[in-house]
Amino acid sequence: MANGNTPPARVITGAATKLSRTVHGIAYDPDHDLIYVPNPLADAVLVFRGNANGDEPPIRVIQGPCTKLVVPHAISLDLEHHEILVASLSSRAIAVFPWDANGNVSPMRYISGPKTRLGHVVGLGVDSATDLMAVANSEQILIFNRTDNGDVAPLAEIGGPHTGIGDEPWELQIYKSRIFLATSNHLHTNVYSGVTLKEGYVKPPEDPWLNPQLGFIGVWNIQDRGDVPPHAIIKGPFSQLLHPTGLALNPKDGELYVTDSIRNGLFTFLAPYFF
Amino acid sequence: MLARLNRRLAVWICLLLAAGAASYVPIAKLRTRQPARSLFDVINAQEQHPQPIGGDVVPLRQVSDPYPVFNGIAVDPLNNLVAMSDVNRKSLLTYSRNLEPGRPGITAPRRQIFGPLTNVGFVAGVLLDPGRREVYAINNDIEDTMVVMPYDAQGDIQPLRILSIPHQAWGVALSRSHDQIAITVELQEAVVVYKRDARNVTPPVRYIRGADTGLADPHGIFWDDRHNEIAVANHGNFRGLIKDVGAGCVPAGTAEAGGGAVLPSSITFYSGDSKGDARPLRTIQGSHTQLDFPMGISVDEEREEFAVANNGGNSVLIFSRTAGGDAAPVRVLSGERTGINRPMGVAIDARNQEIWVSNFGDHTALVFDRLAAGNVAPKRIIRTAPEGTPTPGFGNPQTVAYDSTRDQILVPN
Repeated sequence: MANGNTPPARVITGAATKLSRTVHGIAYDPDHDLIYVPNPLADAVLVFRGNANGDEPPIRVIQGPCTKLVVPHAISLDLEHHEILVASLSSRAIAVFPWDANGNVSPMRYISGPKTRLGHVVGLGVDSATDLMAVANSEQILIFNRTDNGDVAPLAEIGGPHTGIGDEPWELQIYKSRIFLATSNHLHTNVYSGVTLKEGYVKPPEDPWLNPQLGFIGVWNIQDRGDVPPHAIIKGPFSQLLHPTGLALNPKDGELYVTDSIRNGLFTFLAPYFF
Repeated sequence: MLARLNRRLAVWICLLLAAGAASYVPIAKLRTRQPARSLFDVINAQEQHPQPIGGDVVPLRQVSDPYPVFNGIAVDPLNNLVAMSDVNRKSLLTYSRNLEPGRPGITAPRRQIFGPLTNVGFVAGVLLDPGRREVYAINNDIEDTMVVMPYDAQGDIQPLRILSIPHQAWGVALSRSHDQIAITVELQEAVVVYKRDARNVTPPVRYIRGADTGLADPHGIFWDDRHNEIAVANHGNFRGLIKDVGAGCVPAGTAEAGGGAVLPSSITFYSGDSKGDARPLRTIQGSHTQLDFPMGISVDEEREEFAVANNGGNSVLIFSRTAGGDAAPVRVLSGERTGINRPMGVAIDARNQEIWVSNFGDHTALVFDRLAAGNVAPKRIIRTAPEGTPTPGFGNPQTVAYDSTRDQILVPN
């Protein structure tokens, strides 16, 4: 129920945590009371006790060349099948591990390759009812079979001008076969490859402050196909959302939690009719 | 007459009974009544719905901090100025360095640079050039630029210069002798060096990067002109550089996993002319160092010492400039009286014999005597909010999770 300028109830921080100051994904496992966090700067996934606090080390660390993690950003939990899904940004891949994976372990499944069309992946989720996986990709949502492996083409996509999804859709959650998506609609143009300047750029890219394209929260059915507008939406100046990237759901109370990095804030929306 | 009355009464009774029968629902049916569908389900059942449900919904609750929160800090004794980057409200603030001690309330800045035209966003390291009276500021994420403003800039104005820099840059240092600037890049485990007045899209003149450099998630940086050395504070996160060529938040192509590691925090020193996979001249690392998420770093070239804003330890550590290995600091500033709270920046003012510290954990910057140690109160405090004002501690929150067990919201930064 935090509201206003309020301090956190607890903070997990310090060298022992092995956290980096860059974190683009987080997932909570209510069945085992665990927190899963990727460390993209160390190619790792960290697992903490649900009640962790202060400079507390993770209880498990998935890390090493066998894991195939390369700048992991997005993480999602398939609670029904007890699996962890991790999307690596730089390698354009999705790795699937058992929920209790630890150390330098190989993924059970690894989706990667040109047929997958995977690009900027910072959101994904599994729907147990349909056995499908939805992935927030560069400019659309890609749909795969939950157990896909290797260089496989997606089954379908949700994308196009009517969807409103522009550049860089971010965190994605699934509830009762509905896809909830934080659509940032901000193109982060990287002028460098590593520390080398790419060719063709003569001036710095436009500042996101000046980007008139508002981001939003959109809801689709996982069975939607093609250029389908969202069935539910939170968008507009009163919503305060400019560049929403983080999204979490609390269906029991009918609430959505959204972080916006431009606003540097956390927003709670009451929308029980979305669920 | 009585018979007619009885007939009318009989009709009314029958009508009432009929109405009751129509509204009567057997108990059994009540218990098996279908649950009401959500509005979402109703809408979906329709063949077409012109508008999605929801819309421009006002948030029920909003957690954010209305006050500036400091990140980097730099001091210019020549012009009596101290500058801080404000990562929360996305601004640059400058203050007179010799404020009256103990003034209550919010400290009035000399200048505040803020607004869409400035290109100041998720701003981190800051630098002052006293000779040219310019402020340099690094945007760590989203903008991926360095902006340069004149000292007298105020409000929403365009920078003197903008330079595109690699994604996830943090600290910036200036060398007058080389007429160059050096910038740390976290994700790429690199230091990139540009001509001082580089602008727009200009390649670096060189960079320090490679498995032998010891660079691991570098943050603070200082260029010691007197000794021609570059000092870097490293958090320790390390990715297998040899095979990974990721370009940050934009995929650069597939890359084989080289494996990562979380190494202990460290301070590494390089020759000011280093390039490529250069080994450090010295490395400070180990349990005696007390290093824990070291952020800003500042070298006192005359006294042969350097200070580190030790974010994870809520302290400022001062080392001998030539220390190496698992060296203990010569002095430590920490404790409740110091007011040091998640420090991000540190700046040594050798002329006035003072140390400046910028806090991320609250809304203050602190000034201590240059040789202060232990649990001592600061000489002066700059405040961006009334004393005791809390802060949620957000810095570019890009993800969130809900802990249903504790009814808590988890926000990484």
